[in-house]
Order: sequence, then structure tokens, then C-alpha cells
Amino acid sequence: MSRSRTTTVALASVLVLAFALVTVVAAGCGSSATSSSSSPAAAASLPSPGGGGSIVLWHGYTDVERTATDAFVARFNATHPGFTVKAVFAGSNDYALQKLMTALAAGKAPDISYQYGSSMANLATSPKIVDLGPLMQQSPNFNWDDFFPAERLAATVNGKVLGVPALVDNLALVYNKALFDKAGIPYPTKDWTWTDFRDAAKKLTDPANKQFGWAYVNDGSEDTVWRFLALLWQAGGDLLNADNTKAALDSPAGLKAMQLLHDMAVTDKSVYLDNGNGNYLNLFNSGKIAMLWTGPWDISSINAGVNYGVQILPGDVTHATIAGPDNYVVLNNGPQQVANAWDFIQWFCSPDVHLQYAIATGHLPIRKSETKLPAYKEYLKKYPADAVFVANLDNVTKARPNIVTYPKISAALGQAVQAVLLGRAQPQQALTAVSQQINAILASGQ
Amino acid sequence: MDASTTGPPTGAAPTPSVRRASLWERLLASDHLAGWAFTSPAMFLIAVFGIAPIVWSVILSFQRNNLLSGGTWIGLQNYQRLLHDPMFAHSVRLTILYTALFVPISIVLSLTVAVALNRKLWFIRLYRTAIFLPVVASTVAEAILFNWLLDPYFGIVNVVLVKLGLPAQSFFQNPSQALYCIVAMTVWGWLGFCVIIYLAALQGIPRELTEAAEIDGATRWRSFRRVQLPLLGPTTLFLVIYLSINALQLFDEIYVTTRGGPLGATTVVVYYLYEQAFQFFEAGYATAIAYVLFLGILLLTVVQLLLGRKFVHYRS
Repeated sequence: MSRSRTTTVALASVLVLAFALVTVVAAGCGSSATSSSSSPAAAASLPSPGGGGSIVLWHGYTDVERTATDAFVARFNATHPGFTVKAVFAGSNDYALQKLMTALAAGKAPDISYQYGSSMANLATSPKIVDLGPLMQQSPNFNWDDFFPAERLAATVNGKVLGVPALVDNLALVYNKALFDKAGIPYPTKDWTWTDFRDAAKKLTDPANKQFGWAYVNDGSEDTVWRFLALLWQAGGDLLNADNTKAALDSPAGLKAMQLLHDMAVTDKSVYLDNGNGNYLNLFNSGKIAMLWTGPWDISSINAGVNYGVQILPGDVTHATIAGPDNYVVLNNGPQQVANAWDFIQWFCSPDVHLQYAIATGHLPIRKSETKLPAYKEYLKKYPADAVFVANLDNVTKARPNIVTYPKISAALGQAVQAVLLGRAQPQQALTAVSQQINAILASGQ
Repeated sequence: MDASTTGPPTGAAPTPSVRRASLWERLLASDHLAGWAFTSPAMFLIAVFGIAPIVWSVILSFQRNNLLSGGTWIGLQNYQRLLHDPMFAHSVRLTILYTALFVPISIVLSLTVAVALNRKLWFIRLYRTAIFLPVVASTVAEAILFNWLLDPYFGIVNVVLVKLGLPAQSFFQNPSQALYCIVAMTVWGWLGFCVIIYLAALQGIPRELTEAAEIDGATRWRSFRRVQLPLLGPTTLFLVIYLSINALQLFDEIYVTTRGGPLGATTVVVYYLYEQAFQFFEAGYATAIAYVLFLGILLLTVVQLLLGRKFVHYRS
């Protein structure tokens, strides 16, 4: 009796394991079949858009942006009957990269996906990402040069254009006018220096009222890093050398930038250190923080009762700022799908359509030519603060390195900035340490 | 002749009139096939969602793979790298420290609360519901709540501390305090679950036993220590094992509060492997870490079960 039970159990286990192995091997074959070349698929000659099918667009828009996106997609579907576009909310954009990675591994990627610009270098290793350069050459009306330099830099990896700008923004100074009036300080001007900024922050800090002059996102992530990079570039420094082989931030400019953070956060104690990115805006709305370095995405969440102003960032050698362009990435699900996706993107990112979208959402224009259209006045009337952000795009002269190792470099630099802000490391000490870490990361190549 | 009183006719053996059934016929008629047919849908789900990822993870752990462009085989290099990785050693230490704090505190606190709630008090249902609410609250809600409670400048906890004359603390911003704040947050979150289990166990103890102890002159404490506590043995063993497994796999609360910071002070093993897989694109290394964690948890559970066998008495 026991022998037949043992055999049954053994047989069952073998069956289950065999089934699991078959599933795994099938999945493995599915994904490895496309790994023969690690360069993105070049779209040679595509069929014309149409075919009656549908393409899927993954995005992370919520609220106003989502309503607008759905409306524009519906408008496209109504006016372009050849195929349908389905806009799908795929969760917060913070996780868009992970979602796409999972989808690619499962072989079920969408046709278009909204991705942060900082993810481009790593996405470039996937063979399913379409190189849009040849497509742009075949569409003379597209006019790639019409897009701002920061966007074009963020979408290009190793000479291949792997995305079309979905959103461009930059960091500017958003300040609470009421708090400035109360302290009797004149509003920030476009000639403000670091000294002006530090002094104002000190005067606007009142421990008794728990009021701070400035807020900084201190979670050690890219959010911590990119604000520091703006400081570094303002002092005339660079993160890496010209061919991205060695760290260049351990320089007088780098020290100046780190020293400013140390002086304000540790010596003056005029900075509210947010251990995530959720608190500072609430506190700004409650009148507890006088100045923020933030972008257009926060403007729509500022309460109506807060009288705020926008100015370009204070400067040192320059008033450089940093842009965070995000892209629509096209995935290769077949020539017809790619053709349809490209058709939709050309329409959605054309000057007239995008300006209408910007008016609906408050996004900045992604093309220079949008600022010359007649409807632009309407846009500025609706979003007066955005005028500063658009002008500030001229201050974006540098971009973060679009290399595969950037995530690790960012993590190391994030820890270094965090250490300085918390007073756990001296500026020069932190710079030397992080330079060594970055050089080690670059040397290992992955 | 009466057939019932005579035995079988002697001499001639009965001629078989039915041939032996084939293997296939026997299989169809047996209980085995019916049984497996009923369980196959569930088995399918377990195989696809449970076993297939486990098998795929093993394969991944022998590769260098960024999940985007296929993998290259590197044999045991990931495991060798683990042995020399100071960040991994640090994350293991943190995880063990967290578990060593979370499990005993949870058990002792929840047992105390369960005993306290195991009576007929006014509003007893309200107390029990209140204790269980944190379990039902989502981790994100819990995180936002604690982020604000423990904010160094605006949090209520610091306001109270200052009023009591104690210095304000920086909690989640302080590398030396962050992990203990996470312990407090998770103990609060899990208390209700453990209390409910203990309550059920306490109410399963026959009253005659405690009454007999009373009659024999035992004090409340001795009655608890000598009668109820041993009878709660199986429950305690279950909770210790279950809480340990969960504590060693801590991730959610870290992800929504400190993100492994500040300065790596809360980078526990699962958070470290998440960073490796999804921020640094090192899925192979991450799965190697996952397997080492799995083996660690397996070992710990076996040890706990063996100790349980020695110290826990089951009522038969």
C-alpha cells in the first residue's frame, strides 16, 4: 500500500516540477530570442499607419493631466479612423521603469510608454526599444531641432534617438510672497547670488514659529541629487569629465556647492530636510517654508490661498538649472504597431496639438515653435508662472550623463549629499569619498 | 440444500469470468485520477505563480541579467560576490537586529494585551476593534501617519517630548534611530493580528483548568504562568515562526518611509535586493541574495520547529 502512495507522490512531484520547468524554459526562450542583438531595433521601411488594430499607451498621469490625455486620445481616435489608441494608466511614473521592465520580461510590452529621461540609458539595452532617428528622417515635418536642447540630450543614447519628449520641466525658485513681506525682504530677482539666497533663507527662518527659509528633498534618491547638480553647474563644475570616464566633481566648484549645502543646512539650520518628497509641499502650503526649488509639476498643487512667485534659481558663475525631460518610448511589437505608434506620436507632439495640451494641463511647451503660435498668449494668461519656467529652459545648458551606470552613480552621490545635509560628513571629505566611489563604478562598467 | 449452510464446493476452483482490467481502465476507475483532476486547477496556479518564479530565480542567480536584454551565464560569481559585499553584510546585520527586536516585543506585548482584553469589560468590543484597526490599515497610510508623527520639526511626538522636558529627536532623519522607529511602527501595525490569535487561544483554554488551579490555591500569576502559558505554547510557536518569517522579509514599511535611509541605516536584505534588481539593473545578483535569504529563513524555521518540539506541549 505504501509503495503505491510513494509512487503517486513521486509521480505528482515530477509532473509539477516538469510543468514548472517547461513554463520557465518557454519564458526564457521567449525573452532570449530577442537578445541576439542588444541594440534597439531600427525601423527600416514601415507600412503606412492603419490596419484597424489598436496600440497601447502606458502613462502615469493623474487628475487634470489624465483627463486631458484621455480627451486628446479620443480626439485622435475620432479623426484618425485607421487604428485606435488606448491610453492606459500604468501606475505612478516613479515606477514606470519597473513596470516596463517586467512587461518586457514577460513579452507583453505596450506600444508606447512614458519613461523618465534618466531611465533611457538602461532602457537602451533592450532590443525592443525602437530607434526613432530613421523614422524622424523619413518624416520631414517632424523637425527634431524644434525641440529644446535639454530634451534632445535626454532622449539620445549613443547617438540613437530612443524617445520623443513627453514633458520638459526645470527647477526654478518658488517663493511665498507673504513670508517675504512679513520679513521685509525684497522678492528674489534674476540676479540673485548664492549669498543673497543664503541671507534670505536665514532671515526667513524662525525656529519659534517652526518656519524654514528653504526645503530640500533628503531621501538620498535622484531627487536629492539633481538639485545638487544644479548647484554644481551654477558654480561652473561638472559631474563627470567630457567622455564620461572619470568623476570631475571633486573640484573647487564641487566644494563650493557642497559647502553651501552644509552652511545652510548645518550652520544656519535654515533648511527643512524632507525625508521623502511628500512633506515639503504641504508645509509650503501651510506657510511654514518660504522658498522651494521645484518645477511646474508642483505649481498646480499650491493652494489658492498662497500668494507665490516664481523666479529663476540664484546663481554663482551662472544661473544654470537642470531639466528633467521625460520621454515617450516606442516598443517594437511589429512593423504595423510601430508605424501606428509613430503616427500617433507625430500628431500628439506636433506644435498645435501640444500647445492645446499644454493649455489644458499647464505643462511647458516641448517645442520652441509653440511659443510663437497665437494661442501661446492664452497659455501664458492661464499659467503666468510658466513664463519663468519657459524662459528658464535657456539656462539648461548641461544634462545628466546618459550612461548605463548613472543609477549607481546617482545612488552614491545621493548618499554623499545626504551625509553633508545631516551634518554627518564634511563637504571635502564627502566629495573625495564619492569621487572614489564614482570612479570605481565607472571602471567596473556596469 | 441450503446454500447458506454449505461451504464452497471442494475440488474445482472457480473459473475466472472477468479478465484483469488494463492499466488505463484501472486508472480511470481509481480515486487517484479523480483526486488529481480536482486539484489540478489549484496546482496549475501554484506551479505558475509559485514554483515557476522560484525555478526562474535560481536560473537568474547564475546569470548577469538586467531583465531587459537577456542574460549571460556567470556561474557562481553572484554568490561569491555576496560573500565579499560589505553592504550585504550590513543589510544582514540590520535584518537580524530588526527581527531580534520585533519578534520578542510583539509576542510579549500582544500576549499582555490579549490577557487584558480577555475579560468582560465595558466597551470590550471597541477596544478589540481599535487594537485590530492598524492591521487593516494599508502600509502606505501607516507610513504617512508615522512620517508626520515622527517629523523632527512638526511631529506630535516631539511636541510631547519637549513638553515633558526631553530633547526633541530626529527619528527617521537620524541613522541611529531610524531602525528603531521602524520597529515601533511595525509592532504597532502587527499587534492586532497577534492579539486576535492569542485571544482565540486563550478562549480555547478550558475554564476547568484555571478553576482547578484557583481551588488549589494558585495566585493569578502562578495560574497564568503554570496553566495558561504552557497551553498557549502551540500558538506562541506559530506566532514566533510566522513573525520571524515576516520580519526577515521586511520591505513594505521601509519602502514607504525611509527608502533604506538615512545613509543606509534601514537597508534591510529585501530592500537591498530590490535596489539591486530595479535600480541598478542587477537582477542576477538580486536573485542570488533572495536565495541566500530563503536558505536563512528555512534554517531558522527548522531550528525553531526543533526547539518547539522540545518545549511545546500539545494537548492530545
